[in-house]
Amino acid sequence: MEPFFIYRDEDSPPSAGEARVAVQPSIAVAQRPCEAGSQALEGYRPPEDAELIRRLREAKIALGGSVRMSEFGLGLAGGAAGQAVSTGAAEAEIMLDLSGESRAAAALAGLWGFKAGYGTVSRRGLTGLAPSMEGLGIIARSPVLIRKILASVSGPDGEDYSQPDDGEPDFSPRGIEPGKVRIAVITEAGEALTVEEKEAYGALQEDLSRRGFVLDRRSLKDFHLFPLVHRIVASVEASSSTGRYDSVRYGTRSAGGEGWQDMYLQSRGEAFGTLVKSFLLQGAYFQFQAYEAYKDACRIRSRLLQQVLALESQGDFFLFPLPFDDVLFQGGDLEEHYRRFAPSLFANVSGLPVLTLPPIEKGMTCQIAAPRLGGPGLLELGEYLYDQEQGD
Amino acid sequence: MDFEGVIGLEIHIELNTATKLFCNCPNNPGDPPNQNTCPICLWFPGAVPGLSRQAVDKAALLALALEGELQPRSSFDQKIYYYPDQPKGYQLTQSHQPLARGGSVEIIDEEGRVKKPRIHHIHMEEDMARLIHETEGRKTVSLVDFNRAGTPLVEIVTEPDFRSPFEVMEFLKVLRARVRYSGTSECSMEAGSMRVDANISIRPRGSEELNTKVEVKNMNSIRHLGDAVAYEISRQSAAVRKGEAIEAHTRLWDPDKKTTLPMRAKFEGPTIPDPGLPVIELDPQRIEELRSQLPEMPADRAQRFVEAYQVSTEEAAFLSSDPETAGYFEALVEGGVPPRTGFHWISTQLLPGLRERDLELPENPVSAQRLAELLAMLGREEINAGGARRVLAAMFDSDESPQVIVAREGLAQVSDLDQLGELVDQVLRDNPAAVEDLRSGKGKAMGFLMGQLMQASGGRANPKVLNKLVGEKLEKDKT
Repeated sequence: MEPFFIYRDEDSPPSAGEARVAVQPSIAVAQRPCEAGSQALEGYRPPEDAELIRRLREAKIALGGSVRMSEFGLGLAGGAAGQAVSTGAAEAEIMLDLSGESRAAAALAGLWGFKAGYGTVSRRGLTGLAPSMEGLGIIARSPVLIRKILASVSGPDGEDYSQPDDGEPDFSPRGIEPGKVRIAVITEAGEALTVEEKEAYGALQEDLSRRGFVLDRRSLKDFHLFPLVHRIVASVEASSSTGRYDSVRYGTRSAGGEGWQDMYLQSRGEAFGTLVKSFLLQGAYFQFQAYEAYKDACRIRSRLLQQVLALESQGDFFLFPLPFDDVLFQGGDLEEHYRRFAPSLFANVSGLPVLTLPPIEKGMTCQIAAPRLGGPGLLELGEYLYDQEQGD
Repeated sequence: MDFEGVIGLEIHIELNTATKLFCNCPNNPGDPPNQNTCPICLWFPGAVPGLSRQAVDKAALLALALEGELQPRSSFDQKIYYYPDQPKGYQLTQSHQPLARGGSVEIIDEEGRVKKPRIHHIHMEEDMARLIHETEGRKTVSLVDFNRAGTPLVEIVTEPDFRSPFEVMEFLKVLRARVRYSGTSECSMEAGSMRVDANISIRPRGSEELNTKVEVKNMNSIRHLGDAVAYEISRQSAAVRKGEAIEAHTRLWDPDKKTTLPMRAKFEGPTIPDPGLPVIELDPQRIEELRSQLPEMPADRAQRFVEAYQVSTEEAAFLSSDPETAGYFEALVEGGVPPRTGFHWISTQLLPGLRERDLELPENPVSAQRLAELLAMLGREEINAGGARRVLAAMFDSDESPQVIVAREGLAQVSDLDQLGELVDQVLRDNPAAVEDLRSGKGKAMGFLMGQLMQASGGRANPKVLNKLVGEKLEKDKT
């Protein structure tokens, strides 16, 4: 078994030509380890499948086993995202995307990456940190498979009340006529790039123009606030929601501590890794010491969402750069995390679906975003681009 | 210096829904421990809460019963709370956007004046698990029963409008009646479906300032609450007179020692909106639909009883104190029983009989129809009052009609003049001293003779006829 696997799923080997989907252990597979990369969940085995796993099984899509992940999916360090697909051990990998992890891992592995729009996939059975910021991430060799997976798992789940009342997703093909597809290039998203990165990003835009798409420069004037909002709101949500990891029913329990209160404190101190602990402490700071700043961040988030909504009249899709390098898999502190993932946080704060293309430039690819319910159309665009590449 | 109490209440009421608030587990905390649990109410990783529609409707009805103003939007927040009885480290409650604001309940204070203590807001939240402390040998262990975790509560937060234990107790009695009438909760402190915490401070009488308050918990009845409030006002007054400052903290009422003792507060933190639960939206049409489901409230019902049935204010208040009693009374009246007769038999015979048998009115085996039949027999003088009481006692243990019981027990009233005349003659002959006393005006002798006559008749004689016959006999003997 490859070292990046926690276990291989041999229960239902796929038929020839069918895909195997590797699963990060933050997505519940009944009776299988679901520790989300953390000692805080050591020994936890869920009694039932996550809803999206149930739907995959219903669609006869085979599970390929569980792969190593970073702690609670915050960043990529310590995990092996993308390796199962890049080595051919699986055809796709599903994970949670909290800060852009699925997109960055896909880019690093030379693969297609996708983050689903907020509320389009049931969260039942998903163990993350910040429910309002996370989306399902899918990594695969082609957008065709991503589309197949998304079509199987997306849609309303009557038992997940966090899903907006969107109705069934529409995967019917609309047809892609490049001359009629407007892609809004968000100008502020490119401002922090280095000279080399800007050059590479410019080449990607030229490539899209060459294919016949209409690119217009558009402004998202508060783009620079996405990381700040993510940092405050996500960390507060995480600090509050991880209280359930109590080292009583599962997880590492500290041997020290007089009484249950000491046991809780010491166990939580020992069970979480440094990055996650920093994240949680930051969240606790904002919740207990700087609550007004948290409220301000929530208000700014509303403003950002209004600006994103206004973009929908200015383009069918929205283009953002995604610089990447191997350092994304290296450890680092919270400052490093937010610096590295700054280009991708907009999608987690706004809940937009995003598709990343396999890189053609070194260290740079692009993220194509769509309105929140535009995932099917975005993947149709991806398939068009893929078909064109296959034909090239 | 004379101090007055300034008291506000936080009242938690368990809703009588079929399921818990966020999952489909049965809402039966009394079932065997940890029987009613699931990954949601145990908050396993990945658990996503649902929201019971029935709980929202019942909470809204309860709020309307207390004249609260339902809000068009309300939402749930996470309130950090680390304690073994809370499986996820936070409680889901409504801090920022409660279900209802305002409300009030009218009471009569100690001076007989009408007072309307105000409700600040009414919100929904989930209950915690139950901790059971036991000893195993010398070791103290605490067990956690999660049956209660996640069951739906409504919390009513009042303004600090109360000034005495009397006002607090009266308010709770009226509130309890209104909640029971709404059909949303059993609302019993003794059964644990209503829990009350009191926030108590003192100030010089006549002052308007609000001072540091102390929270008091663990009062298991309205009477205990009154005692605890009285004690705490007294304790704080004594402390202030000694020059001690009152610090904000929490105390527990000890009903055996009749004192409050400081307790260690649980850590609680500020709240954040919960991203998993939907916003509750109530449009005006829905609010009116809910309002139309609200039954007649106790005060209105009592007023109607006075006007429609000519019972006294006190009798009406008794009859309307809970919906079961009021409904039973009206069913008797509809069955032809005179209202005051119905009141008398409910208050002096039926309810005491149920209490003797450890039953509540909802478990009453004597239907209003059967009791109405019995009282109709009494009205027609087919049995006397003593016989009726014996028949009622039998009806608690059998579902036979009163007619069958009367026939079987031979309790039919005897009113035959010849038969009773012979009986009167015999008893008068057997009790010359009593007859003499009666003739000389000693009224008690009549009671003695009537007792002898009823005994001789096996309790079946018509007392009115006996009374008349005795009078006639004595008159006849005089001449």
